[in-house]
Amino acid sequence: MYMLGGREKISSPTYDQALLWVTLILLGIGLVMVYSASIALAEADRATGHQTTYFLVRQAIYIAISIAGGFVAFQVPTETWQKIAPYLFIMGIVSLILVLIPGVGRNVNGSQRWLSLFVINLQPSEFMKLFAAIYVADYAIRKSAVMDSFTRGFLPIVVVMMLIGWLLLREPDFGAFAVIASISMAILWLGGINARIFGGLLALLPIAIAGLIWSSPYRLQRVVGFMDPWADPFGKGYQLSHALIAFGRGEWFGVGLGASVEKLLYLPEAHTDFLLAVIAEELGFVGVITVIGLFSWLVLRAFGIGKEAVANERYFSALLAQGIGVWMGVQGIINMGVNMGLLPTKGLTLPLLSFGGSGVLANCIGLALLLRIDWENRRLQKGLPV
Amino acid sequence: MRTGTLPQHIIRLPAWRRRVLLIIVLSGFAVLVGRGVYLQSLHKGFLQKEGDARYSRAIKLSAHRGMITDRYGEPLAISTPVESIWANPTDVNATTEQIGKLSKLLDLKPAELSKKLANNQREFVYVKRRVSPELAQQVMRLNIAGVFMQREYRRYYPGGEVTTHLVGFTGIDENGQEGYELQYQDWLSGKPGSRRVIKDRQGHIIEDLEAVKVPQDGHDLALSIDRKIQYLAYRELAHAVEINKAKAGSAIVLDAKTGEVLAMVNLPTYNPNNPVNMAGRSRNRAIVDTFEPGSTLKPVSVGAALESGHFKPDSLVQTAPGSFKIGPATIHDAHTEGLLTVSQVIQKSSNVGSAKMALTLEPQYLWSVFNRIGFGTPTHIGFPGEASGRLRNYKTWRPIEQATMSFGHGISLTLLQLARAYTVFANDGELRPVSLLKLKDVPVGQQVFSAQTAHQIKDMLELVVQPGGTAPRAQVLGYRVAGKTGTAHKLGPGGYLADKYVASFVGMAPASNPRLIIAVMIDEPSNGSYYGGAVAAPVFSSVMAGALRMLAIPQDAPNNNIVIPPENAPEIKEVV
Repeated sequence: MYMLGGREKISSPTYDQALLWVTLILLGIGLVMVYSASIALAEADRATGHQTTYFLVRQAIYIAISIAGGFVAFQVPTETWQKIAPYLFIMGIVSLILVLIPGVGRNVNGSQRWLSLFVINLQPSEFMKLFAAIYVADYAIRKSAVMDSFTRGFLPIVVVMMLIGWLLLREPDFGAFAVIASISMAILWLGGINARIFGGLLALLPIAIAGLIWSSPYRLQRVVGFMDPWADPFGKGYQLSHALIAFGRGEWFGVGLGASVEKLLYLPEAHTDFLLAVIAEELGFVGVITVIGLFSWLVLRAFGIGKEAVANERYFSALLAQGIGVWMGVQGIINMGVNMGLLPTKGLTLPLLSFGGSGVLANCIGLALLLRIDWENRRLQKGLPV
Repeated sequence: MRTGTLPQHIIRLPAWRRRVLLIIVLSGFAVLVGRGVYLQSLHKGFLQKEGDARYSRAIKLSAHRGMITDRYGEPLAISTPVESIWANPTDVNATTEQIGKLSKLLDLKPAELSKKLANNQREFVYVKRRVSPELAQQVMRLNIAGVFMQREYRRYYPGGEVTTHLVGFTGIDENGQEGYELQYQDWLSGKPGSRRVIKDRQGHIIEDLEAVKVPQDGHDLALSIDRKIQYLAYRELAHAVEINKAKAGSAIVLDAKTGEVLAMVNLPTYNPNNPVNMAGRSRNRAIVDTFEPGSTLKPVSVGAALESGHFKPDSLVQTAPGSFKIGPATIHDAHTEGLLTVSQVIQKSSNVGSAKMALTLEPQYLWSVFNRIGFGTPTHIGFPGEASGRLRNYKTWRPIEQATMSFGHGISLTLLQLARAYTVFANDGELRPVSLLKLKDVPVGQQVFSAQTAHQIKDMLELVVQPGGTAPRAQVLGYRVAGKTGTAHKLGPGGYLADKYVASFVGMAPASNPRLIIAVMIDEPSNGSYYGGAVAAPVFSSVMAGALRMLAIPQDAPNNNIVIPPENAPEIKEVV
């Protein structure tokens, strides 16, 4: 309790408790819902040894590791992060290359996304989102003098992004690329890139997409398939139609925690990519708007921290804070949009909530950085050293 | 610590850019909220309907089919639980080893089984229907995903081939196919219930969607049959059919007072528990087949003659010279007897006497007697496929036809119609309706003859089994018996067949107060003898003797009542 009246001096927090609590609440909701969504799946699967708590136990361990990881990350000054930004970025690119090498990378469900490191599997693309945010923020600061220049400010980062995009599409992990591209473009935009160049880039996007579709018409089918899942509800539209049914069944207040029918092996990936559908069915619109609200708050808070950093003239921190906000926001929006049939199915998890170790760890480190930036802001405002 | 390496004035982070980006991201969330409202309130009807279509299922709860019993409640048809093994091929996930074990257990070819389980177009296939619960449990223990069992009932017939012509049998879905299983389908089957449930993808029931509609079990049906008498009649008929090398045979035991059928058996027959190879075996011949009865009909025509007032039992009829010419046709007797009383006409079964008496009657009158005694109309006993027989309109009768009809030619009946006609002689002239269902009350009959005529005929029928009559072998120890033999050529495509006969005997006992009427018909006896008195009468005698004792009916004669004709006495036969 930090708002006890008249004792402001003692209770004045040195860190953003609300941000920490929102993070922990999202992790908690995720843990409960991952368990609820995975019971039937775990029980039916021989690979899990028919243990109903298989995913619960693992997610709990992941969260514990992630909180520990976040605690460690919190100890590192932003200045250090900025210094090691290029090395982190290169490390990320190397891991994206490694993951594509047969025998090193692990293939699950047709996607080569995992690196086997002794006992654990890591998903480099999840960490690449964080590394990209740090790197591009640093890039924007380093090149702030030439951000108006196409060749010196814009072109180098676009080339690097195309390389990353090419690597990610080889896995394939289009969703991660969409998130990384969004983070990068947002930071460049905030970092003051020439508006006309940026506008041109945005204009190029539809042309590029049209080109992709033109080069292989089947892709059009896949892209627009999500618009009418009822055209082929037992084939291509299977997953989405079941996700939508889950929403419809949930109504305002849900069928009750644990009472989802869709999770009973009808809805594939209920505990990962389609966790929101289970939330929608069991907790109803109330549950959905709670999740949306918490994510919106995260984004607003990240931008608020960014604004304070600007006021403190800490521009790298400002860009990084907003980049992390965009990361949470965009990935959340894409995942929820996929669940609701607004966007094509992409294989992107819901940050902090969906089952998965790499994702939760990367998210927690990102939010720890956000907390760190805020902590440094507070120190500076009090005239303390960071 | 600041990024002091760069000149401060170059870094620009315009606030408007942050606001634009924030608005874009937040409007993304706003769209999600709107979409959530749409999906979870406005569009939910459609989505829930689609959901129900995917995982709500109506389950039929089969009603227990009622028993068919005999008159004492002994089961003749009962439903026993069995399991059917079915699979949802889209969910089947079986190793080759499991398939092998399954095919071994269910005695199916592995290739065939694999093909069945690989049919991804369907979500329901029967693997094998109606296996024993024990075997089904073994199958379930194989633990193959997507393979399930379903409770069903199998109809079992304890009476087997003995009662099957009455009871009938059901098809694989417990729908009656024959007999009373068919006739009383709705009564026996009851109303199946239903349950709407939500199932998970592996087919387990999760919850009920609405109140369970409880199945209404079918009702039991008590037939009038006495199982013991039925078995006895079957055994004796089968024996007679065998030793006489007959093609077929039927026997009916009627309760003379109530008209209830206590036994009705036919040969050949089949086993309803495994109804295969049924051609020619499935018919309840006693009800659905007709035949020309021959002399067993004489009591009716002679009764009509007595009733007309032209004759008395001791009126004399000239039967010499043993033949009688009507137009171009001639009627023959087996023996030339000369002057006979009316009683003797019955006792000796004289065709000439019967024809002469019949010709004194108006065709319309004789027809009306035949009609009232039930010839030419079905008995309405309520059995599927009952035949009505053939009694032509009197307006078309020629004299020769009227004459031959008096001794049972040119008229066709079912054995049941014939047996029922004899209730007149057992009940003081009253025709009793017959029933295959157990009755609570004695039904009201219809007076056909006066009580006096009925008694007179019954007395004459007693003479038939005495020495000098056609059927001494119909006698029963300790009881007086009244009855009549019949032997008739069978009709072929081109008229009567010279060497194919139908032998019959209809009679009642105890004659002083008849309690049982038994009608026996043997089709094509072909082991030498073919007379009703030789072929059908012994069946009557043994069934009657057994049935009277089973029912503990008091004797009306001493235990030495059987009079065996002397060895060298000529056998009295009727002419055919």
